[in-house]
Amino acid sequence: MQVEKGHQHPLTQMIAEINQIFSEIGFVFASGPEAETEVYNFDKLNVAKDHPSRDMQDTFWFKGKDVSEPMVLRTHTSPVQARYMEAHQPPIRMIVPGKVFRNEATDATHEAQFYQLEGLHIDKGVHLGHLKGTLEYFFSKFFSGRTEVRFRPSFFPFVEPGVEVDMKLLDGTSKLAGKWIEVMGAGMVHPNVLKGCGIDPTVYSGYAFGIGIDRLGVMKYGVEDVRDFYTGDLRFVNQF
Amino acid sequence: MKIVHSWLKDYLGDALPTPEKVEELLTFHSFEVDGVEEIDGEVVIDVDVLPNRSSDCLCHRGVARELASLLSVPLQHDPLTQKVELAYTDKIAITIQNVAACPRFSASLITGVTVGASPLWLQSRLRALGVRSINNIVDATNYVMYALGEPMHAYDADLFKQVDGKWNFTIRDARVGETVSLLAEGGKDEDRVVELVGTELLIVDGATDTPIGLAGVKGGRYAGVHAGTKNIIIEAAHFHPTTTRKTARRLGIVIDASKRFENEPTRELIPYAQVEIIKLITDIAGGTFEGWVDEYKEVKENPEVTVPVDQVNALLGVSLTASEMEGILSRIGAHILSTSSGSFTVVGPFERTDLVIAEDFIEEIGRIYGLHHVASVAPEILPGVAVDVRQFYTEALRQELIQSGFSEVITSSFTNKDVIQLQNSLASDKSYLRSTLKKNLHKVLDANFTHTDLLGMPDVRVFEIGTVFDKTETSVSEHTSITLGVRTKGNGYNPKDDVILKKACATVEQVLGVALQWDEDKGVAEANLSAVLSTLIKPTSYGEYIAKPAATYRSVSVYPAMSRDVALWVGEGELVYDIESKIRHAAGDLLVRLDLFDTFTKDGRTSYAFRLVFQSFEKTLTDTEVTTYMDDVYKVVAEKGWEVR
Repeated sequence: MQVEKGHQHPLTQMIAEINQIFSEIGFVFASGPEAETEVYNFDKLNVAKDHPSRDMQDTFWFKGKDVSEPMVLRTHTSPVQARYMEAHQPPIRMIVPGKVFRNEATDATHEAQFYQLEGLHIDKGVHLGHLKGTLEYFFSKFFSGRTEVRFRPSFFPFVEPGVEVDMKLLDGTSKLAGKWIEVMGAGMVHPNVLKGCGIDPTVYSGYAFGIGIDRLGVMKYGVEDVRDFYTGDLRFVNQF
Repeated sequence: MKIVHSWLKDYLGDALPTPEKVEELLTFHSFEVDGVEEIDGEVVIDVDVLPNRSSDCLCHRGVARELASLLSVPLQHDPLTQKVELAYTDKIAITIQNVAACPRFSASLITGVTVGASPLWLQSRLRALGVRSINNIVDATNYVMYALGEPMHAYDADLFKQVDGKWNFTIRDARVGETVSLLAEGGKDEDRVVELVGTELLIVDGATDTPIGLAGVKGGRYAGVHAGTKNIIIEAAHFHPTTTRKTARRLGIVIDASKRFENEPTRELIPYAQVEIIKLITDIAGGTFEGWVDEYKEVKENPEVTVPVDQVNALLGVSLTASEMEGILSRIGAHILSTSSGSFTVVGPFERTDLVIAEDFIEEIGRIYGLHHVASVAPEILPGVAVDVRQFYTEALRQELIQSGFSEVITSSFTNKDVIQLQNSLASDKSYLRSTLKKNLHKVLDANFTHTDLLGMPDVRVFEIGTVFDKTETSVSEHTSITLGVRTKGNGYNPKDDVILKKACATVEQVLGVALQWDEDKGVAEANLSAVLSTLIKPTSYGEYIAKPAATYRSVSVYPAMSRDVALWVGEGELVYDIESKIRHAAGDLLVRLDLFDTFTKDGRTSYAFRLVFQSFEKTLTDTEVTTYMDDVYKVVAEKGWEVR
């Protein structure tokens, strides 16, 4: 039997495609540590000191003896926002695709580790309309078809206003077409987050969004169980 | 929060829209609705109240107020705008020792009640919420909590010790090792005695210093209301959200009362809740209200916030006038205190403890006006972004390795034994973080070798690029690692593996343009990519992106696959395509793969060797079954005059 070409994992395929789409509209690919300090994972993102997400029930913590300050496995890619804002002046356009961790029971739609895509755009005069337009642009390219986006009210500590984002593929025969699908959380970056990272919220504004890449894979390829991404089973990988 | 549709009518009157309209209004302006169902004739709407609104909307009045704002109508009846005129009593004494943890505590005395069943309307509303009816007094405390969001507790005054004609409540910190007996939890018969660690807040009978309840979390059986109770004391208090949450979490108690205290309802709610419950109890259980005591030690008022008009439009991407904004905010009951050119100063209604900065009010304006008014602005095309070195090179490596037959895997970051153990884990075999990818890759090779026939691969070649974790002197470190693995034989490592592996390692070094330190181990090689990233030539562009053809995933059968080989002599002029199609047809639906693995020609005849792989989605196939399918193949072979070698 001949050796045929190998297969790229669908998650890194999607990350390459996401990067391709966003790089054309000026978004830089950024990254940050998976072992993150409590300060960056929570404090800098305006997550209250006593917020339940900090609990051991939700977050994996490193042992005190191993670290010099409290550290966690990052629960989202948002800490990279803070790190990036501290190191760069606006205008900022960046994406962070990366692995994140949640201490929660796993099932077909939940894994304790998964990939998230963070997006951040800070400049003078950035508003919710820019967020909407950028997401429509992204989804239209990623799902190869005209896409509409709508917002519903939501809450995340690091944005205000916060929105839940639904998308709808307008044409096509895909199973996704023609219906609204809840896809992600987003919003205008909270002034406390901007201030904490050295950006003046009276001068600059910006939006941030976060979406599960695994979930994008479920939508794009019809993957039924997100745990399949991490089994190392080529019966899965070789289909992509 | 489950909301009984008809209950909203108490507050909204005829302005109450249909359940469908309620769902639509809430979904697009306030909260997600998880479902609408009918329970015993009541329509129940399951509203997923957002965390920042759990202070005012975990109750029917809150959701009704929200709907009134959205509909731009006043509430027909609003318990929170009624004047509170309650007489005081000196028969109850309250001592708050920790004001930060309990800034307000109240108790009212009602004498001469008759304990009995609740009226049917009340039972029916509680039933719709899934709450069991106990008696009219206990039901009333629950009812007022679901109506106004204030948890309440009722005591039998005659079972509560009096000193000099006074009942004494003390609110103090728990002592280490102290115990408190809590009411049996749902489904359990026995009360739960918990030992305290000292961080909890207790309500104690001041006369005897006996703990009677874990403040904010759960009450005890002390002075419980029973069938013969005549005189009652009703408690309504405010407990610190964090203290409550920490205690509730530690003890694993999540009940509707603790959930509300955790979300910090306004301290101002207490007198309104007392008025409501006094009225309800005297209505349904009789009795006389004697008076109340209200220890309000620390007032917390909503801040006055200045909102710049330009900022509202600048953040939302809309163009509203100042008076339109003020109009929207007055709909939620906010008071515009002053207006000046370019801004206005506003304070939220007292129950809206979430409105503290300008952006909070901007969000209110946006969602009540309607987020559908936000118009899309298409992004600018801005080519030539700075290139991320790691993404550039790891992607280049992937493309090259794929050309050499390697497939990419992503494995778990958690492992059973390694350098760094986490404080908490999902399972005991996942409590460490990986310091190497090698261990996982060995497992991947083992697991996949059995699938080589099914996948049509002569061997298994895999790679992973991922983060691994290690210890430093003072902290933890991480780096990006690349690991390649090869398995050519089924019974484990074979020296032949290394021949392919070495070539692949050379490919990696070629792509990077530097040599790597490989750690080789039985067909698996690993190297630290982070260590060399900074030394690589800086790329200036990501290069041309080649879109992959669209893939649609099909789930994999959990049952093993069975393979059979067949080699055939066929005459000249036969097309491989035709032979394959005949075999496929004969072998049936369970043939999942057919590979031509050998061809040679001799004396004008050609021999084709095929591997057939059978697999079922429903069961493990037996040898006999597969033989039957093969017999069908042989039959067709014979009919066609081909000769089995």
